[in-house]
Amino acid sequence: MADISVGLNCPACGGAVSVVEGESTLLCPYCSSTLFIEGDQGVTTMAFKNRVNRESALKASRLWWSRGWKARDLKRVGRTTEVYPIYLPFWRAMTRVAGWICGYEIRRHTDSKGRVHEQKVPKEVMILNDYRFSEIATDPGDLGIRSLRNFAGETSFADFDMIPTFEATTSKDDALARARSDAQSRARSSAKVSRVTMERLHVLTRRLSMVYYPIWVVRYTYRDRMYMTTVDGVTGQVLSGRAPGDPLFQSLAITAGTSVGGLAAALGIIMSGIAAELMIVGLLAGGVILYITYRFFRHGSEIVEGEFKHKPASVSQTIKELQSAARTLQEAYR
Amino acid sequence: MASIKCPKCAAPVAFDAGTKFIKCSYCDSQIYIDRSGAGFYYGVPFVIDETNAMGLFRRWAAGPKKAKDLDKRAQVASVQKQYFPVYMLRRDVNGKEQVFFEPAGSTTLPGLHALKVPAGDLKIFDASFDTGGAELIKPDIEMVSYVDSLPGKPKEQALVFFPIWRLSYVFEQKRYDVVVDASAGEVFSAVFPTRSSAAYILVAVFGFLAFAFEGLLALDSMALALVLMMLTVIGVFAASFTVARRL
Repeated sequence: MADISVGLNCPACGGAVSVVEGESTLLCPYCSSTLFIEGDQGVTTMAFKNRVNRESALKASRLWWSRGWKARDLKRVGRTTEVYPIYLPFWRAMTRVAGWICGYEIRRHTDSKGRVHEQKVPKEVMILNDYRFSEIATDPGDLGIRSLRNFAGETSFADFDMIPTFEATTSKDDALARARSDAQSRARSSAKVSRVTMERLHVLTRRLSMVYYPIWVVRYTYRDRMYMTTVDGVTGQVLSGRAPGDPLFQSLAITAGTSVGGLAAALGIIMSGIAAELMIVGLLAGGVILYITYRFFRHGSEIVEGEFKHKPASVSQTIKELQSAARTLQEAYR
Repeated sequence: MASIKCPKCAAPVAFDAGTKFIKCSYCDSQIYIDRSGAGFYYGVPFVIDETNAMGLFRRWAAGPKKAKDLDKRAQVASVQKQYFPVYMLRRDVNGKEQVFFEPAGSTTLPGLHALKVPAGDLKIFDASFDTGGAELIKPDIEMVSYVDSLPGKPKEQALVFFPIWRLSYVFEQKRYDVVVDASAGEVFSAVFPTRSSAAYILVAVFGFLAFAFEGLLALDSMALALVLMMLTVIGVFAASFTVARRL
């Protein structure tokens, strides 16, 4: 069997050298020869210092209980059972996108005689932007955290031995590939060219590092059920959480949704005498309002905030679904 | 904590699962840990105890998709504390690092054959590792059978023991299985009693149509429409409150 421990020596003078993970060149301290390190390429690792204590994590999570459409008796009935910090690993990539996007935009305008003119406006946009990307380097399980929101803070490995550390288990090259495609699509949308004829973009990776970020997990019970929130260990803000909902808010939502939506639809039908399009607008607006409130009515018995795998009750998730439905409709229409 | 022999002075050097480089505390030489040739055993400690696992199950069972009051009506028939083995294979495929996860034990348990990446604090699994009385499921699928079929060169291969609570519960004379991940608290389940959306849809559609109709009626007689609207508000609220609480 091969030895799993490998001693590191300078090949020129034989002196022992120290290598830090992520470095690719090294100066031998004895003979000053410059050495190039070959082999399994590592990444620079850093850890943020935990600045939040137990009390403030608790306070943040209790404050979160009283915000939004959560159960009204949560503050009275909810009991915190566990509060503990963990270190979660994240890939952090800095990329620069450079290049050109050329294309045109069509502008329509109506002149005084009511004729519609179409004008092709050529566009040429230079892109030189830096992007930051982060992604959790393990399966987040049920913590509801996928990416970093805060990149500033004191770095230190001082708490590293005291706090349980979740190990990085995803591939660094996969993370880098996602960082690059994310940067490219963000650069493309920042150019705002509606019809692209030519695109030449280069994504340059400036740095990939591994960041260990402190997160406080607060577990609490509500009527024998266990819920949790996570608190950012640097900024002290609540990152994600699950909480019981309240049937009162669910029924208020659907009452408001049916009344406003129904009346919007009726208004559309009444106004259809003026212009036929208004009926469609009214019915569509009514339908969308009804759908959003229905989703909350149906799934609002549990309030979920953060980047969880499934969270049907959130407004942003519903809007995303509506957008994709509208897109398929549009394509079918074409 | 596990240890290796320093290649210079042969002193034992303790190291943890995530480390690549380590300094010998006796002779101060830097050591690189090469994991490509050997197989490692890792274990993830139990973070969630039995009461918390039950609480997580109850929260999951109270979710909007599950049968109403499943959290109260489900009778937990058995609870098992287990370590489930998963292979973690880190490989170099054409210069790119890829990580593969494969189950090491044959199982029909929900979530475990699709369990991608065990999230947790990996510890070296040796004689000093505290399993906390959990039943260790023996790996009955050999690593070789996976390694031979995977592309690339090996960088690290490990057998990870992943902590789970295996619950089975009875609801309306039927038995269901649930697995609670005892590290990050995820609940896995393949089949569960579901809740019908019919009553919810009925209330929403009825309310919408009633208000649309009353809106049109307001053109002819405002007073009558307003009275009807008031009644509908009360009706929809009462119906939806009952549905949200009981169905």
